[in-house]
Amino acid sequence: MGRSGLVVAGVFMLAASAVSAQTGGPTDPQIAAIVVAANQVDINAGKLAESKSGNKEVKAFAERMVTDHTGVNKQATALVTKLKVKPEENDTSKSLKSGGDDTLKRLKALKGAEFDKAYVDNEVTYHQTVLDAVDKTLIPNAKNEELKSLLVKVRPAFVAHLEHAKHLQASLAK
Amino acid sequence: MSTPRVAVSIALSSLLSAALFVSISAFAANHTVVIDGVIFTPATLTVKTGDTVTWVNKDPFPHTATAQDNSFDSREIATNKRWKYTARNAGSFPYMCTLHPTMKGTLIVSR
Repeated sequence: MGRSGLVVAGVFMLAASAVSAQTGGPTDPQIAAIVVAANQVDINAGKLAESKSGNKEVKAFAERMVTDHTGVNKQATALVTKLKVKPEENDTSKSLKSGGDDTLKRLKALKGAEFDKAYVDNEVTYHQTVLDAVDKTLIPNAKNEELKSLLVKVRPAFVAHLEHAKHLQASLAK
Repeated sequence: MSTPRVAVSIALSSLLSAALFVSISAFAANHTVVIDGVIFTPATLTVKTGDTVTWVNKDPFPHTATAQDNSFDSREIATNKRWKYTARNAGSFPYMCTLHPTMKGTLIVSR
C-alpha cells in the first residue's frame, strides 16, 4: 500500500473506533472538520505537484485535485455556515493533517520521475482510504440530512479522482 | 411585370420565407443535460438537427462537454453555469469531460 497509505488507513480506523467507543460515531461538527481536513490535505499535495512535477499529465491531474477539492471545501463550508455547524477538530481531522504534512515532507525530498511516482501512488491510496471513510464512517454517521446529501453528492468525485489516479499510475509504470 | 406586381411578389415571398423560418424554429426543441455527481444525465441524448442542447453544471467544480471529433467544445463550464449548443449536423457524437476522463456521454442528432 505504501507507508503513508498505511498510516492514513490506520489513522481512520483508530480514530473511528476511538470515537465510536465514546460516542457511537463522529458528530456532525466532527464530520465537517474531517471533510475540510481531508480536502485540504489533497489540495496541499496537489499544489506541491503542480509546482514540482515536470510531467504534463501529472500536473494536469494535480491541478484537477486542487480545483475539485477546493470546490468541494467551498460547498462544505457554505453548508456548515448555513447550518450554523461549527467544525470541531478531533483526533481524525488532526491525524489527517499531520499525516498530510508527513507526506508533503517526504514528497519534497524527491524529484523527477521518483516524485511523480510517489505523488501518484499516494493519491491512489489516499483517495481509496478517504472513500472508505466516507462510506463506512462519515455518511452512516451524518445526522443532518443536508450534510449527508453533500457527502453522497461529492462521493462520485472521489471515485472519479481514484480512477484517474489509477490510470495515471498505470501509465507512469510503463 | 409592372412595378406594383414586382413589389407584391417580393412582399409575398418575404412573408413566405419569414413564415417558413418561424415554423422551422417553432419545431426546434431545447434539451438539457445535467452535470451532477461527475456524470452527464442523460448519458445518451437523441435530438433533431436544429435542436439546442444546454449542459448545466451542478457540481461544485468545473466540467466540459467536448466532442471526440471536436465538433463541439463547451470549454470550462463553471459551477452553476450552463453552455448552449445548437446541433446542426446529423450523426452520433461521443463526448466527454476533458477535466474528468471517466465522464462520457453521447449526443445523437437525427434529421
